[in-house]
Amino acid sequence: MGQQVLNAIFIGSIYALFAVGYTLVFGVLDILNLAHSAVFMLGAAITYSLVVNYHQSFAVACVLGIASCAVMGLVIEYICLRPLRRRRAPPIAALISTIGLALIIVAAVEQGRQGSIFSWLWVDGANSVSFPSGTVPNPTWHVGGLTLEATKVAIVPVTVALMLVLGYFIRFTQFGRGLRAVAENPRAASLMGLDVDRMITLTVVLSSALGGAAGILFGLAISDISPYIGRDNLEIRGLAVIVLGGMGSIPGAVAGGYLLGAIEVLALVVFGSNVRAGVAFAALFLMLVLRPQGLFGAQVHERL
Amino acid sequence: MKRERVILVFLAALVLAACGTTSSSGGGGNAYAGKTIKLGAILSITGAGGVYGPQSRDGMKLAVDQINKSGGVNGAMIDLTVNDDASLKAQSAQLAQTMIQQDQDLALLGPTLSNSAVGVHPLAESLKTPILAVSTTGIHIVPDCNYPDETPCKYVFRDSLGEQTAIPDNIMAYAQDAHPKTGVLLVAQDDKFSSDGGTIVQKTVDQYGIQLLKVIKFSKTEADLSPYVTQAVQLKPDVIFITSLGAIPAKIMTEARNEGWTGQFLGGNGFNTATVSKQAGAAGKGARSASAWYIGNTFASNADFVNAYRAAYSKDPDQFAAQGYTGIKIIADAAKRANLTFTDLAGDRDKLRAALETVNIDTPLGPFQFTSTHDVKQTVWIIQMDGAGGFTLVHEIKPS
Repeated sequence: MGQQVLNAIFIGSIYALFAVGYTLVFGVLDILNLAHSAVFMLGAAITYSLVVNYHQSFAVACVLGIASCAVMGLVIEYICLRPLRRRRAPPIAALISTIGLALIIVAAVEQGRQGSIFSWLWVDGANSVSFPSGTVPNPTWHVGGLTLEATKVAIVPVTVALMLVLGYFIRFTQFGRGLRAVAENPRAASLMGLDVDRMITLTVVLSSALGGAAGILFGLAISDISPYIGRDNLEIRGLAVIVLGGMGSIPGAVAGGYLLGAIEVLALVVFGSNVRAGVAFAALFLMLVLRPQGLFGAQVHERL
Repeated sequence: MKRERVILVFLAALVLAACGTTSSSGGGGNAYAGKTIKLGAILSITGAGGVYGPQSRDGMKLAVDQINKSGGVNGAMIDLTVNDDASLKAQSAQLAQTMIQQDQDLALLGPTLSNSAVGVHPLAESLKTPILAVSTTGIHIVPDCNYPDETPCKYVFRDSLGEQTAIPDNIMAYAQDAHPKTGVLLVAQDDKFSSDGGTIVQKTVDQYGIQLLKVIKFSKTEADLSPYVTQAVQLKPDVIFITSLGAIPAKIMTEARNEGWTGQFLGGNGFNTATVSKQAGAAGKGARSASAWYIGNTFASNADFVNAYRAAYSKDPDQFAAQGYTGIKIIADAAKRANLTFTDLAGDRDKLRAALETVNIDTPLGPFQFTSTHDVKQTVWIIQMDGAGGFTLVHEIKPS
């Protein structure tokens, strides 16, 4: 059972990391950025390519991978979100445009093979690959019958640290106060002299950089990097996490991630593998019925 | 003079008759010259099956190039069109309909995934078009493509080794070598190929005295398989059976080894690509599967294929490339003997179907024939991962 508790914590950290980027954009813009899963994948794919195909150190590759995802955030804002916002399109339009961008990104990566026009980005097509052993030290410890793998253990403090930094940033800095003002009422924030477009751009860039970092950690800990890791493995669960935690709430995304991880593993241990996903999503349904705003959702009007 | 003319006319008649005899025994050489044999392949170049489809395509194109460069099929050139079904069942069936009715292809190859085959094959059967599966290994591909209707499908053939043969052979070989007592099955339940494989494992283990301690089902979209692997490892089985695709077998192997389990991995077709072996790395060393093909076989039809593939693509082929290549060679052999008219498409499709039943050629897979149920009749190669991204041969099981 001890090992399964650890498994729940590890997987909960991954869910939380992924969901924070989702919830950050939702908190400010009231839209779901469904290109987030593709950016998550891109973070892992670019870092892998830099390490394996361009022979960069892991640290350099990480910085460049995260920076590339931040740039992708700019693309999301300038292509998918801002033009629609200018035309006062309903949130569903932005949802669809981000789905479109996600499909394009995934298609571009899966076309990446030797000799293709995307071979500079990725050469493994639809294949799943993992970082070569030795990319980062990854000792495995066996303590009291428990197995602790360094890359998985590292995810937990990294998740917590990122959340604390993000929390501080939003709560105590000038930018954070501006962000919360925009989240609360963009029109009022604009009248108070805030550059709303700039705040939104920075939010999407920050969210995408976080998504990229989450993708890199996922690739390291789960040893699975393919064009589909965001879409197939995490997109729906990420949505479940932000519903559990409360749409737009960062502490909620973290708590929701760990809660979903715990429910899934508990369901496996108690009820067996056949009903694991069913039990997890039944819990989600129950939460929606009993507390539609989620764990940390806004009964309070303040967001983020 | 008159007698000489008679003799000349007689000789000319003899020569013409000889030509006629030659052309009919060789499959209508005159009728074939300058014609085109249109073939269509439905492959998963993108999507989940994109792990396998591109290699099948490359193998097929290599075979087409070789055949056309050496004069074609009795002088007729093969024109192969490859369409990507994006690993989507509905798209696969739509493509098949277009290729059969609009493009008027003589025969089809594919689709890549068993999941898509259940839509495509019944369609080809109903439109009386020969179709050759080159990678599908699930249950009810041949002969009962219309399952649960068990009427044998006449137009559906398969050159890929079915899991119904491969998995039992693999289990039998390991049971004879190591006499395992217990096992746990890890199976992706939301994929036809994987769940079919799981069913076959469950039906087979009893015969070899292996007690299946638990069947652990999971979804192929799980982000982290650790909880399932922990559950399997804690039962301390001698064998972990894995029936799944893509990155999943490697992830399971890595996690199980990290948790200190030292038993044997046995699997299905999902193990049989260098990508999986490479991804599993040292954790996969010794993991066994039954394969339709082994790169190290030195018989001429394989050595020639491997050399030609390396020359064309600057990389090693895999099982899917070998099966794709073999698929084209099989259809070319049948077309050569089918006396095609090139004027009556329906009639030609029937003739090709009949000729396919009597194929008997040497291929990279070994000597190849179809069984009476249109399934593959070939040697099964039991291979194991070498821990460095490759495979070594453990056993060779001749067809019964």
